[in-house]
Amino acid sequence: MEKVIVSFCVIGLLFLQSSYPGYKPVQDVDDFRKKFTVAAAAVKDIKADFTQKKTLVALTETITSKGTLWFKQTDKVRMDYTTPFVYKMIINGDNMLVKDAQKETRMSARSNKLLQQVNRIMIDCMQGSLLESKDFSNRVFENDSYYLLELTPTSKNLQQFFSTIIVTVEKKDNSPHIIELNESGGDKTIISLSNKKVNMALPDEVFSF
Amino acid sequence: MKYFLFSALCFLAGCASYYKGLTSEALISCADEIKPANLNTAWYTASIDVIGKHLSGLLVVKKMPDASYRLVFTNEAGATFFDFKFQPDGSFQVVSVITQLDKKPVIETLRKDFELMLGLPFGQPLRSWQHNSLKYAGIERDGEKIYFIVNPDCTSHGNLEIGSNRKRKVSVSLSGKEPTQPDSILITHYTFDMTIRLTKFDKDADE
Repeated sequence: MEKVIVSFCVIGLLFLQSSYPGYKPVQDVDDFRKKFTVAAAAVKDIKADFTQKKTLVALTETITSKGTLWFKQTDKVRMDYTTPFVYKMIINGDNMLVKDAQKETRMSARSNKLLQQVNRIMIDCMQGSLLESKDFSNRVFENDSYYLLELTPTSKNLQQFFSTIIVTVEKKDNSPHIIELNESGGDKTIISLSNKKVNMALPDEVFSF
Repeated sequence: MKYFLFSALCFLAGCASYYKGLTSEALISCADEIKPANLNTAWYTASIDVIGKHLSGLLVVKKMPDASYRLVFTNEAGATFFDFKFQPDGSFQVVSVITQLDKKPVIETLRKDFELMLGLPFGQPLRSWQHNSLKYAGIERDGEKIYFIVNPDCTSHGNLEIGSNRKRKVSVSLSGKEPTQPDSILITHYTFDMTIRLTKFDKDADE
């Protein structure tokens, strides 16, 4: 009987530790971090289609938007939303351009700390450097095909937007697969990448404005 | 001297009441029938210009089963900026707001703008006013008139507005064939530089 109880306790502990079905915790996170940082740095650029699903739980409303995403080491991201609305966002170093239906706006992240942090998240998600960020504590899980990075903001500025950020990374090329932004009230945004092309030598012009 | 006179005239013109000659009238017969409809659930792209700053995002107007309204403003990438709740009894609740917007004047301004846009003040008994050839119907609250313009044929309404005793402060212009789901909404402030442009979109267009 004692063996049965102990077995249940062990299974229970493993379940609590993981909390992501199908994933198990990476035991030596420091070792993983070192190896992953080197491996992720080999992803020089990415072009992919994205599907972004935002769920507002209390309102029982969901909106799915689609578009194309480009990333280039070390600090360039572009997202073109094409449906159901048109919107363009380009982050190029400290500068940012957003173009909505009404206006094109250029901003400097240096003049806006919050913008700088939010920009940094998108770039860090793409290049896998979130594990190095001082803005988050982290846990790492894995299965045969993916790593799962669970990031919890430590700064109040980011906590007001996100309770956790979950980045699923493909083991085959260390590129991001799904980015999940969870808010404290239960709302969430899930960005899934598909038709991904890695290291195709994207020209800088893609990110110029 | 000429400059002084010109300045004085400009000053006096600036002080001139927008509502000069406004008189109270018996309730316009069609006012209750044509008063602004309460909005139905819809998604809008939002473009906000405040004192030279531009902000864009998505605004969802949600009519809840308990007859309350929730207005949630997010940026295009999904981060929520605010979530406001308007109860049928007129009470208002900030469900969530980011620190950068969590300032009483900001929230009060947005509350009044969206209340007017939703047509909520016109659930109360209405009064009427006349100003030159224009007719207004609405309510008075906290020293402000909250009204809609009654079109001359008395079959529809024009802009929804808020004014103090002397100045027009805000106007809401609704465009589109369906009154409960306008295609576009323009909120203009007259006492400081702020406009909110909302354009309805079909969130399920590509599904």
